[in-house]
Amino acid sequence: MESKRSLIGEFTKGLIEENATFRMAIGMCPTLAVTTSLVNGFWMGVAVIFVLTFSNVFVSILRKVTPDEIRIPIFVILIATPVVIVELVMNAYLPEMYRLLGIFVPLIVVNCLIIARAEAFAYKNSVIRSALDGLGIGTGFMINLMVIGAIREFLGTGRLAFGSVAFPAEPLFEPMAVMLTPPGGFVTLGVLMAILNILVRRAQLRKAKASA
Amino acid sequence: MVKARRGSGGVPVPDKKELSGRMPIEDAGIPAELTLFLSQHTGAPSKPLVNVGDEVKRGQKIAEAQGAVSACLHAPTSGKVKAIEPRYQPVLGRESDAIVIAPDGEHALYEGLAPVGDDLEAISQDKIREVVRESGLVGLGGAAFPTAVKLQPPPDKKIDTYLLNGAECEPYLTADQKLMEEAAQDIVFGFRALMKGAGVEKGIICIEDNKPDAIRAMEEAAKPYPELEVAVLSHRYPRGGEKQLIEAVLGREVPPPPGLPLDVGVIVSNVGTAHALAVALKTGLPLVERIVSVTGEGVARPSNFRALIGTPVSYLIEKAGGFSGKPGKVILGGPMMGVAVKDTDVPVLKGTSGVLVLPAQAVKSEPVLPCVRCGRCVEACPMRLLPVWMAAYAENGYLEEAEKMRVMDCCECGVCSYVCPSRRPLTQSIRLAKSQIAAKRRAAAKK
Amino acid sequence: MTDRLLITSSPHIRAPKTVRGIMLDVVIALVPACVAAVIFFGVKALMVLVASTVSAVVSEYLYEKAVKRPVTVGDFSAVVTGVLLGLTLPPGVPLYVPIVGSAFAIVIAKQIFGGLGTNFVNPALAGRAFVLAAWPLHVTSAWLNPLTMDAATGATPLHAFKGGQAVGSLTDLLIGNRLGSLGETSAVAILLGGIYLLVRGVIDYRIPVAYLGTLGLGVFVFGKPGALFQGDPLRGILLGGALLGAFFMATDYVTSPVTPKGRTYFGIGAGLITLLIRYWGDYPEGVTYAILLMNLATPLIDRFVVPKYYGYMHDVEARRRAREGGR
Repeated sequence: MESKRSLIGEFTKGLIEENATFRMAIGMCPTLAVTTSLVNGFWMGVAVIFVLTFSNVFVSILRKVTPDEIRIPIFVILIATPVVIVELVMNAYLPEMYRLLGIFVPLIVVNCLIIARAEAFAYKNSVIRSALDGLGIGTGFMINLMVIGAIREFLGTGRLAFGSVAFPAEPLFEPMAVMLTPPGGFVTLGVLMAILNILVRRAQLRKAKASA
Repeated sequence: MVKARRGSGGVPVPDKKELSGRMPIEDAGIPAELTLFLSQHTGAPSKPLVNVGDEVKRGQKIAEAQGAVSACLHAPTSGKVKAIEPRYQPVLGRESDAIVIAPDGEHALYEGLAPVGDDLEAISQDKIREVVRESGLVGLGGAAFPTAVKLQPPPDKKIDTYLLNGAECEPYLTADQKLMEEAAQDIVFGFRALMKGAGVEKGIICIEDNKPDAIRAMEEAAKPYPELEVAVLSHRYPRGGEKQLIEAVLGREVPPPPGLPLDVGVIVSNVGTAHALAVALKTGLPLVERIVSVTGEGVARPSNFRALIGTPVSYLIEKAGGFSGKPGKVILGGPMMGVAVKDTDVPVLKGTSGVLVLPAQAVKSEPVLPCVRCGRCVEACPMRLLPVWMAAYAENGYLEEAEKMRVMDCCECGVCSYVCPSRRPLTQSIRLAKSQIAAKRRAAAKK
Repeated sequence: MTDRLLITSSPHIRAPKTVRGIMLDVVIALVPACVAAVIFFGVKALMVLVASTVSAVVSEYLYEKAVKRPVTVGDFSAVVTGVLLGLTLPPGVPLYVPIVGSAFAIVIAKQIFGGLGTNFVNPALAGRAFVLAAWPLHVTSAWLNPLTMDAATGATPLHAFKGGQAVGSLTDLLIGNRLGSLGETSAVAILLGGIYLLVRGVIDYRIPVAYLGTLGLGVFVFGKPGALFQGDPLRGILLGGALLGAFFMATDYVTSPVTPKGRTYFGIGAGLITLLIRYWGDYPEGVTYAILLMNLATPLIDRFVVPKYYGYMHDVEARRRAREGGR
């Protein structure tokens, strides 16, 4: 069941159509846990793009020699490799961020988003396609984390911080503490999901009408 | 006097009996045409005994009962058989064969009719059963179940109580009420005959407390007979439903379908049925006429008529002074369970206890809103079911789920739709699901 | 022939009560509580109530316009939600609290789940829970002294009561001369509204009776620290938001069970959770969370607490006979 999209399509489908968080609702654990700020979301997203792309490539390369019965353990080993790389690099060059993201970086190994793409896509498709799929889905995921993080950070602290610089300098309003807690994360996620669903459905309706 | 229980569910409904409640029963007279459906009753249609062009006389049998559950049919007046053809039968909601009679105005009695007598001691049980069968007696409360079938319970069922249903819990209708007020003696005679016919020792006459004159009349008439009692029920719809009546008066519950009142030792008949039997025994005249209330805010002069079976509804409305203003709905029966008809050409059936005309301004349709789960339908359901879920399953096509919620137990009394503040058509959805499930069962049985 | 006649399925008449009429009854029943709040806490109370109500109605209108659904502002359910939310807030809160709370209640708790009839938690309580989590300080300390209307320091009587200390006279509690949220101070006003709803047949007596009964009994047994059966049930019920919750929040049709028996269980459950939170939890008051939790349990109650259908004992009997016959 080789994918029939154009190569560009393999990349762009991850942004909206097969958006990991909002459309497929996978990879929710880091989505809710680390998105208390825009910057957190960005770095977590970068880590996932890296891991997903390389794990997809590895799985795709070895797909012909992987026995079906034990493919999941093999996937996990293949995924763990880039994860360890990311973890060590982050620990070395971004120790502050590594401390903030904490356990969620090593936990990427068992993130269902990565395994899902390996199982559903890379295991059945060519290396080039798998790499583009990983990049696209990963980028979509990073954008999700950044959007959720930005909303939660802005509402929860009253401003957006980039390192030592914050914008605006003083909070515009009384921050809503709840947005930094898991319930705030769920609410943000749910609302964004609903909005995206409405937009996609309207686009499909328009398309159906135009073709009719 | 028997103390009645509150019973399950039910709702207080507006009475509206004052419209026609004070009008004495009048003879409606002979219309220009009588339409007698072969399917007047529950069960198999009867088989015509006459041909087009035949002369018939009042009381002459014109169709014979066919099968175990059926009833025969008699000519209500003298005249000529004009046609035997399909006509629109409002209760079935489709065309059905009917004998159409053109009256000659003579109103001549059929020679073969002979009174049986007015001394019950002298009439045998078998004779009573024969008269019931030969008079085409059916339940006059609405469902029109052949009475002869009720009088012959299977030998293994022990019947201990006969209930005479004079509850008339539907708003507006006053046919039973007027009959009890004006013909209490005959009703009691007919009731005792029914009891003898069924071999039952104890009889209870059940009346709702909004008919004090009828209660007084019936108590007076029943006084000489120690085996008879009068039970006064509070006014609450659907108290007069067979199962609800048994629950309220005797505290017994009929088993779920296909259970029958027989299973708990009870037979229920309508007061009109008892009266018709009394007439048949005393004069020999079979069931050819009945009391019909023509009422509602949409008629000029609400009345109670003694009308020949087959009289067109339009004729009765004309007799009641015609429409007052623009009519919105014409309903055969009461407002809760009656059938709305598309025009007034339809005739009175044996089970038609009233013709209700609602004016146009009273039948504005209201928007149906989402269910707010207020639970009013659950509290009102006399069968203690959950209309809220049954209707939701039915609306979405989940027939099996609806069946699991015992949708087939529903008696279609209409209280759930009545109380719904969101104006949801619960009864309608449930009725639809019931007919679909019944069709499925029939298909499965055929295989 | 006659004019065209309408044909519909029976029944052909309907009870006079409509959803709109019911909601209007609830609004009327809330009037005494609102008036009491304005008398004790002045213009600030009025501002909070107006802000929450207007925000609720506007949110409903805007959302329904945005997603192109029929606008249902006319059914008064948004008004009820707005007023109820306002009544759960302290009089001194900044006005953005009721505005955001109402918007959350209507859009997130009610409309996103399909609007009236399909929301799974009480919108007003969800809104309160949200603002309580968002601005905990405002919602739990912006008290005003009644009548003088100056900012009050210190805890509400419920805190003191929880610690086993003496709290104001019963008269003050009944009339509402004490610290507290707008709608929880005047017991008389709430009771007046509650009785109106009961008389009009809008709410089922089972929920408030079961709820307040359980709570009162629990306070009597556990209310005094260190001793059993010496609590003060009356003050336990009058303090805090239990009355408002019992009559106006727990009785919300959409989020309470449909069967009479289920409603009794619902009330008892809410009473038990309120007790648990009050005496063994961190929060001073548990009414909000108690009712919200029971809202979540409602589908469960509806599934398992069903009335016995007419004639069920014949089926029971038949099964018993079949069992014995099979042996």
